[in-house]
Amino acid sequence: MAAEKGGFGGKVLRVDLSTGKISLEDTVAKYREVLGGTGIGYKVLWEEVPAGTAPFDAANKIVFATGVLAGTGVPCNGRTAVTTLFPSCRPQPLVASGHMGGHFAAKLKYAGYDALIIEGKADRPVWLFIRDGCIEIRDAGHLWGTGIRRTTQEISQEMGPECVVAAIGQAGENLVPLSVVMNSVSHSAGGVGAVMGAKNLKTIAVQGSGSVRIAGDKSEWERLVKFHLSILGANNQHVVPSFPHPQSEYYNPSSRWVGAPGKRWGAAEPPVEINGGLYDLNRISFRSNSGAFYLGDQAWRYTVRGNGCTGCPIRCHTILKVPSLEAKYGIREVAQNTCGGMVFGRSFFKQLPGGLTGPVALEACMVGMHMADDLGLWCNYGQLQCDLIKLYYDGTLKTKIGSDEYASFSWDKYENGDPAFLFEIIPRIAMRQGELGQTLGLGTGGLLAHWSIPEDVWTQDSATAYWKLGHPKHHANEDDGQCGVIINTQYNRDAQCHSHVNFIRNGLPLAVQKKLATEIWGSPEAVDGVGDYTPMNIHKAWRARWSLVRKEIHDSLGLCNWMGPWVASPLKERGYSGDDSLESRFYALATGAPTAKAYARLGLQSVDEGLAAKELVPGVKG
Amino acid sequence: MTGQESQTACQALAMAIREASMAGQLVGKDALLAELRAHNLPDPGEPGVPDMDALLAETLAANPDLAALTSISGEILYHAQPLLSRTYAGILDSKSSPVRLIAEEVRRNSADYPRPLPLELFEQSPFDLIPEQIEAGLKTMAADPEFDDISFITTSTGAVYLFSSRHLERPYAAFLAERADTGLFLNP
Repeated sequence: MAAEKGGFGGKVLRVDLSTGKISLEDTVAKYREVLGGTGIGYKVLWEEVPAGTAPFDAANKIVFATGVLAGTGVPCNGRTAVTTLFPSCRPQPLVASGHMGGHFAAKLKYAGYDALIIEGKADRPVWLFIRDGCIEIRDAGHLWGTGIRRTTQEISQEMGPECVVAAIGQAGENLVPLSVVMNSVSHSAGGVGAVMGAKNLKTIAVQGSGSVRIAGDKSEWERLVKFHLSILGANNQHVVPSFPHPQSEYYNPSSRWVGAPGKRWGAAEPPVEINGGLYDLNRISFRSNSGAFYLGDQAWRYTVRGNGCTGCPIRCHTILKVPSLEAKYGIREVAQNTCGGMVFGRSFFKQLPGGLTGPVALEACMVGMHMADDLGLWCNYGQLQCDLIKLYYDGTLKTKIGSDEYASFSWDKYENGDPAFLFEIIPRIAMRQGELGQTLGLGTGGLLAHWSIPEDVWTQDSATAYWKLGHPKHHANEDDGQCGVIINTQYNRDAQCHSHVNFIRNGLPLAVQKKLATEIWGSPEAVDGVGDYTPMNIHKAWRARWSLVRKEIHDSLGLCNWMGPWVASPLKERGYSGDDSLESRFYALATGAPTAKAYARLGLQSVDEGLAAKELVPGVKG
Repeated sequence: MTGQESQTACQALAMAIREASMAGQLVGKDALLAELRAHNLPDPGEPGVPDMDALLAETLAANPDLAALTSISGEILYHAQPLLSRTYAGILDSKSSPVRLIAEEVRRNSADYPRPLPLELFEQSPFDLIPEQIEAGLKTMAADPEFDDISFITTSTGAVYLFSSRHLERPYAAFLAERADTGLFLNP
């Protein structure tokens, strides 16, 4: 069903699992002012969920919402925001959102919906069938207790290959606060799986036969999409390669642009060689390989290809195939993920033979993905693994669990970095088995409360990365000084904001970053060298605000804040500038709204706001 | 030489520079002179013909993509920047002297980004130094006051990073090295 309004799917679908009532709302009439995504999620939670509601109460709601640009041709448009009361928040549950890529957002739009609001609680395990206008609450008794992969397969066989399945695993069913919902096999939203579990909702599967209407000028739309492609870098918008290259003035060994000419996706059949020009637009997917970034050159041999979300050429979910795993560990030889999901298993170990990029680290990653992505366990941005390391190595763990349970773990394997240890720890967390498994799955806040450990024992140990409210910091002071700190104060979970860090880590020399900072935030003083922080100033505050606003805009439009914003680019001829107005221009073209109104709606009046910011600084003229 | 002939000579020079860059090579005056002769153009410096330096200056002025680089040997070399960037050209030029290659790259990175560089970088393309060359280069630098600013740091994983104390203080270089070696991977 095509939406009448440009950009929007047109309807918000509301499903009450307690009563079975299914209803529709007009997106534009009711939610246009909040754009979509987290905007809809926050509005629903704020207006409809009574204060004092607990995350697993039937009165809690969980909102799957995407935005105007999801399902279009805009690069990196595959995001769905999942907003609810977070069970991992302590000392009291608070509103937060998890974010998943994959293809759920596009399919939801193609079915005609911008958001899905789940209310109430089913009296038995169910799954939600959505095929365009046909919505059914179906029995999931046969799926309950199965992992995400099995569930995805069974539903896909029932609905057909064009559907997308978003499922919880056993962790969500068992109400483990650190659990995910995952779609398209590897794209997860953390912290929300148990809320689905509490509602007895195993799976949401969507199939849509419609499309997203672009209301504005189609040729201008095409031109803007091509321009956007031209200013893309690699994963996390790193705009210089990690290796010196004849076509590039700069390089950065820490860049995620690791696809050097001559490297090969060695496990593809036949193997694929990275070739062509560095900036070829039909080879953008060659630039990123999360396996190679996190696991070193060895990963190329095991790379099948990059996988990713709707409309995204970056393909950050690297598919790895390691045939020896089947014989050694009895697990599938193929796994895929990115970032924290890819290193889920490796991160449990304080040390590994061969280090972070050795063959044992690769095995630990594969074993971790195999289990966590099936059981639906969430790492809380690595805090779960940090917690175990701290508990074990400072001796706390031995005092908190019984001796029999303690002896049931192969701690020698743990200390020696043997990936086989993961088979002992990960399932126990997902299945809430034993004191340790149950407690780790609560998240750090729950863990500290349960074992009466003062929070400052964690906050004062920088190795834990712990910040507040049960969650770790996420690109805070360690990455971006005062801007990072400000951003991390604004969320009830880890911040998940990449607007600032994608700029800081983009790989350009500091002088070029300062030139861009002057253009965007009014002064070179908006940016410092990493770890070399100068006193706070208005331009840093402006950049922090810009970063937060930009994240929320991305989360409300269906864009990926892990890839954007795109204010730096690989293009020397542009002085490495990207474009600060892309989001509003796409919004205007998709919806047909006048550009100025689109700017205003998105809070992106960059020129006006930039001038306003400068007026705050004595002696600085706009 | 007529204006037309001068223009033709400049076009031939520009094309030769671009072709060399495309092949990943810097090109010097002698090779470019041979190129002119191959096109049966008058020898620069002959009566009525601008000398080679003047022709090259004219070529660079007419072609903003082209640039000149003073080699470590003192020779002027030419390249087309979109095809062979200044940085890459500098690396190629210094490859004949591993000591200078390492030192200049370390200094430039310490100054510009700023960041220390992992030692293993120099084993990779386009540096392509073998471990023995790197070890010998480091020993040479340690004994030569000209390179007394080049220093190293070992991270918690045992990785070695090089930095220039002209541009980075040791504690800050240590922070940046640890961040690059472990911090960025543990904080994805």
